[in-house]
Amino acid sequence: MFGVSNQMMHLPANATIYLSALLLTGVLACATAAQSQPSDDDAYFDEHIAPLLIRRCVECHQGTDPAGGLDLTSQAGLAQGGDLGEAIDSIKLIESHLLERVVSGEMPPEQQGKSQALPAAEQTELRRWILAGAPWPENRTLDYFEKTNEVRAGRDWWSLQPIDRPDPPLKAESIHPIDSFVQNRLDQHNLEPAPKADRRTLVRRLYYDLLGIPPSYEQVESFAADKDPRAWEKLIDNLLASPQYGQRWARYWLDVARYADTSGYERDQEKPFAWKYRDWVVDALNNDMPYDQFIVQQLAGDEIEDADLSSVIATGFLRLGTWNDEPNDPQDYQYDRLEDLVHTTSSAFLGLTIKCARCHDHKFDAITQEDYYRFASAFWSGPIQSVRKNLGGPSEEQLGYKEVLGWTDIVAKPKALFLLKNGERKQPMFAVQPASISSIPDLEAKFASPPSGSKTTSLRLQLANWLTHRDNPLTTRVIVNRVWQHHFGKGIVRTPNNFGFMADPPTHPLLLDWLASEFLSSGQSLKSLHRLILTSDTWQQSSLHPEQASYEQIDAGNRYWWRFERQRLDAEALRDSMLQASGELSLEPNGPGFKASIPAAALEGLSRKASVWQASPENEQLRRSIYMYLKRGLLPPMMTTFDLCDPTLSCGKRDDTVVPTQALALLNNSFVHRRSRRLAIKIQDSKQADSSDSTDSYREVRQAWKLVLSRPPTEHEKELGLQHLQMQQELIQKQQHAEATGQETIKSNPILHLVPNRYKGREQTSLDGSAAGTFENVAKDPFWVFQDDATARPTFSSASIGGQPALRFSGNGQYLKIQGKLLDSPECTIICVAKDESGNGNRELISNWNGAAGNSTQSLFLGLTGENTIRFSDAAPQAGLLRKRDQAFILSATNGTEKSQVHQNSQLLYSGSAIQNRRLDTDWVIGTQGNIGGEYWKGLIAEILVFDRALPSEQRRAIEQELGERYRIETQAATAEQVDSPELLALASLCQVLMNSNEFLYVD
Amino acid sequence: MPPNLFPCRQNRREFVWQMGCGFAGLALTDLLCQDQFFSDIQAGESSAGLLPAPHFAPRAKSCIFLTMNGAPSQVDTFDYKPELEKYAGKQLPGDKEYINSGGRKIGYLTPAFRKFRSGGESGLLVSDYFPKLRQHADKLCVINSCHTDSHAHGSALVAMNTGKTLIGRPSLGSWSVYGLGSENEDLPGYVVMLDKRGGPISGQPNWSSGFMPGTYSGTLFRPSGDPILDLRGPEYISRDAQREQLNLLDQLNAKHFAERPGGQELAARIKSYELAFRMQSSTPEAVDLEQESQSTLDMYGVGKRPTNEYGRNCLIARRLVERGVRFIQLYSGGGHLEETWDAHAGIESNHGTHAPEVDQPIAALLTDLQQRGLLDETLVVWGGEFGRMPFSEGKNAPGRNHNPYGYSMWLAGAGVRGGINYGSTDELGFEAVENKVHLSDLHATILYIMGLDHEHLTYFHQGRKESLTDVRGRVVKSLLG
Repeated sequence: MFGVSNQMMHLPANATIYLSALLLTGVLACATAAQSQPSDDDAYFDEHIAPLLIRRCVECHQGTDPAGGLDLTSQAGLAQGGDLGEAIDSIKLIESHLLERVVSGEMPPEQQGKSQALPAAEQTELRRWILAGAPWPENRTLDYFEKTNEVRAGRDWWSLQPIDRPDPPLKAESIHPIDSFVQNRLDQHNLEPAPKADRRTLVRRLYYDLLGIPPSYEQVESFAADKDPRAWEKLIDNLLASPQYGQRWARYWLDVARYADTSGYERDQEKPFAWKYRDWVVDALNNDMPYDQFIVQQLAGDEIEDADLSSVIATGFLRLGTWNDEPNDPQDYQYDRLEDLVHTTSSAFLGLTIKCARCHDHKFDAITQEDYYRFASAFWSGPIQSVRKNLGGPSEEQLGYKEVLGWTDIVAKPKALFLLKNGERKQPMFAVQPASISSIPDLEAKFASPPSGSKTTSLRLQLANWLTHRDNPLTTRVIVNRVWQHHFGKGIVRTPNNFGFMADPPTHPLLLDWLASEFLSSGQSLKSLHRLILTSDTWQQSSLHPEQASYEQIDAGNRYWWRFERQRLDAEALRDSMLQASGELSLEPNGPGFKASIPAAALEGLSRKASVWQASPENEQLRRSIYMYLKRGLLPPMMTTFDLCDPTLSCGKRDDTVVPTQALALLNNSFVHRRSRRLAIKIQDSKQADSSDSTDSYREVRQAWKLVLSRPPTEHEKELGLQHLQMQQELIQKQQHAEATGQETIKSNPILHLVPNRYKGREQTSLDGSAAGTFENVAKDPFWVFQDDATARPTFSSASIGGQPALRFSGNGQYLKIQGKLLDSPECTIICVAKDESGNGNRELISNWNGAAGNSTQSLFLGLTGENTIRFSDAAPQAGLLRKRDQAFILSATNGTEKSQVHQNSQLLYSGSAIQNRRLDTDWVIGTQGNIGGEYWKGLIAEILVFDRALPSEQRRAIEQELGERYRIETQAATAEQVDSPELLALASLCQVLMNSNEFLYVD
Repeated sequence: MPPNLFPCRQNRREFVWQMGCGFAGLALTDLLCQDQFFSDIQAGESSAGLLPAPHFAPRAKSCIFLTMNGAPSQVDTFDYKPELEKYAGKQLPGDKEYINSGGRKIGYLTPAFRKFRSGGESGLLVSDYFPKLRQHADKLCVINSCHTDSHAHGSALVAMNTGKTLIGRPSLGSWSVYGLGSENEDLPGYVVMLDKRGGPISGQPNWSSGFMPGTYSGTLFRPSGDPILDLRGPEYISRDAQREQLNLLDQLNAKHFAERPGGQELAARIKSYELAFRMQSSTPEAVDLEQESQSTLDMYGVGKRPTNEYGRNCLIARRLVERGVRFIQLYSGGGHLEETWDAHAGIESNHGTHAPEVDQPIAALLTDLQQRGLLDETLVVWGGEFGRMPFSEGKNAPGRNHNPYGYSMWLAGAGVRGGINYGSTDELGFEAVENKVHLSDLHATILYIMGLDHEHLTYFHQGRKESLTDVRGRVVKSLLG
């Protein structure tokens, strides 16, 4: 002890506190272990003191504005002391301020309420050093990031080191290099790889892997029977050559690039031509564009020598972020946009979280705050100021291209970008010189000024060149890891966007480096990398292992790859597979995205009703999911339920959840039911094509299995399938019967059923002496429709249509009003018996239009325009042509969750996508357009029924038939194909079950 | 390497929920627990393995956030400023700096449009916009010194819900469910009910789970019929027929599973179908007000104008609280401008429309919760995304512009101190000056009341431990009894 306490004896009285602190923390006891005074050897400093200072003190006590004015990175700084005076008291070393504050636990300061006081051993170390006069090796400067320690990575962190091509460890003959690395790790843990998966499993796995859609039964069987020893390689090449490959793999990149078609925030404006970027990615992958070019074009496609339309489209990468046209403070917002660009670029290409260094040096990685601003300077001269007109981008003139969502610098010589203390705009520290980050000292490079006359700063190009420098180890490791991850489900580094200290360490570091160097020697060809991986035994092994249970104990996470990982289909593959199974999948590539049908309930979340979501026509919705339009404020629920990632931030790996809402979607969502029904029709239609089975039902079951699961059913499954068909036929028949017999109640259950009558019991006459007429609601809650203005009342005509009464509207100001709301949602059926006597101009039967209330484009109405064009709201302005215009008709307009239809006399005139997003809280009128004071009906209206749902066709038809008899209007007889037979629906039910099965959802 | 972290640096809470335990699903956790997957239980987390444990004893099991979308005016509702009468017609003193949101006309100081009166034994002042709520004055803990980070609806709403003005982060409800789980596996843990007039500006990101799994997202509930999506298939599939489908599915999946031993995700999915089948009846039941007595319906104003809609939502909120739903958010006002509390055109015309829609329903909710003994364990929060200016938008103009510098919100239930005003704005009600409560402080306090420590409730994302309050936020303990 007590070389130390001898000195303490001389302490003045005020040191007692210090002494007791020492005793409390047990420092003295520990000190007994020390045998000798610290030597002034530099090695001692490097071994004991430098790590301590770096780990505990330097985070704050460094740089141009060190905490308390004390810089602890150099001898000069230490000697100079801080705001409170000397750090080391050269007379009374033991009273040194530095030591006192540490021993008292004041320093390092507590964090989140937790003391950061130094452990006793470190306190001892520090005290010994100070008592020895705090010797500091000459010219030694401490670098916060010089070495990795237990709390953060230094510049010696593994991912920052050069890639040294390792030799595959096992030299066995003909062993695939990947297997050599993997087998070596398995050997070390006494694990055996799983056996190779069977050929049928492999071919399905490969199709999903490369194309994202399953093989057909025939494709599976043809591969299974292929005796060619090179069959596997040939299949890989064939699939890599398919355009479907790019459509599958581009989606992964779009996640990384935070792709969406709109800006987000209040107005959530469309990002015009974002889809061209998406198509560029698909094409780049299909053409196997070398990865360095892929990077350079996205970051600097406008700056490269041979810039062209395509490379400028690639810069859309920089335009895809969210964009707020009304930020709280536009000045501050520029810095938020910089962060988006820094973050997306650095996590996409480098696997580094540089954004964490916006306010201070990175907490965990060798990234200084200055690095953040160096990196950001590449984007500083771009359109990061909020210019509403151009949606946060350059104008067409600035970009030099029309109809491109691209990026370019706005000025070639921007104002300096300052490092901001704590990231706060009002605390600029110093102008940052554009340069690479400093994390890899051997690669650190200052960026040059642009050549004279340049329109841009050339900083993005220099950044891209730095990223793609052959010696940049991160860029290559990161992409190789991404590719591995999408083949295997998990990466070698399982945090694909983060290769820093907080990342998951690589499972096979040597393999990662070997792949990286192989990738470089292949000319950065992604397709070559795919081939390399797919031909390995590691990829081809079974997802089942005979020793699974015991191996799970050793390596539950399968980090050594002793088996393949079973994977659930992602949202896109699932949707595409259902379309593929039903034979409906459209392979139409490129172009603007389609808008998926979104249920009305999900649309309620939109604030801006004017930005109506109008789903695309059904045939466009049959395209692959990568072509789905993604609106940030309204992502399609079916996709998010299956873990489509939020497109705000770069996403390297999607979540993989198992939740009951997924089951609900697959059981009940109409998309799934439509695919099942289509598939059932397809199977029934293919009757002639396959006569191998003895009965129809057998054949159907067999076909269902083949088309959904690409294999025939087993005998047992066949029996189950047959039983299911039989049970469902009975149950569906029963249900249909119940619906049919329930018609009376359903029919008498419209929310509005208007029949003509004399105005208030014959007492009123219109001005010309004829009887004024109105409607009487005979549905639940009867009431009389009113019109206070006598001149505006229609006349009652007792025998007009088929001898039945009707109201005659003059076409000149006559109409009726219904106060209040009728419908809660736009799902409805409107049936009118009427006769048109006009033949031109807009004229309405029923409407809730009210411009002042804000529904000028979102009202619901039914009427005619021109000679005989039917209008069913503004969303369906051409809803068919009325036939036999001079005769009375029964006009039915139905609007469901998926489609809208118009029938005349039971004959289908129009079928379109569902009408959505209507404003329904305004009053209704009959015979005019809302409160517009015009568009009057001229002719007769005899009866109107409104239902608050889309009636099933049988019910609608039954009502039309009854009306037809009453008004002597001939309705089209029901045709057989319009009502689905129980046989068809039972088969659809079977198909749906198969599409819900784990076998369908998972790839072995 | 930091201790106690699972592969990929997820803590157990993160891991469990990622594997599917957000919405209703405890399936996989069950299995994993049976397999003793979690042998290493961390401090602060439940060893039962089903629900993550709170950090400390929770005061509230559930939270109902009554969101007054569009921003009510504090000086007309809960922040009485007699000085405004004195200075009426004068301009705001020139030394006050503020952003004039939307570049509107700057008018003159204008006193409250309706009279303030004291309520309850506490004598808390509440204006005549909320006469029924005033009867509950002794339950209200009014915070008069709120301030936030944006003057624009879009970003301020997102901030109110997620802590930051930039979209893409998990919302308060998501954090609550992430931290505490849901006690009813048949219902979502975080329910959002919108105003019929539309959603809030910025839409989905307001109830998004951001970078957390989608399981934590708010689920939109419709107030009648099927509250959530995909509860019913086509009519020809009766319940019996669907049962038949599930029977076949079970048989196929059972065989598939048997051939794939150890396939935990397969087992979890099999179980998820049973949950889904049950949810088809349990979720509509939760919103089925037929089960409520007429006197209850009358108390909430259900079936009457103008209280019908918010009344229904408040009543449903109580039913959801009874069923263990963790976080319920009810929007009043939807769409834009006068459809919300955004009273540019006139305080009286606007608040005179919206306040009567919610006054009786909210009062009924407080009464009902108390009568059922639920108020002690339910935190009720009321407020908008910011406040409004004490001055008009022009000479004799009756409206007020946005004001993020000072506004009022109130808490009730869960043992918060009732009948008090906490903090204050300046004499004109322009900015918070005393005991200021930043939005993040409010968030920290709400989490605290629910048993969560805002500094330790973190989710590791892209190199950083993210939290609701980030580097800000402090628990305002003076609000708690």
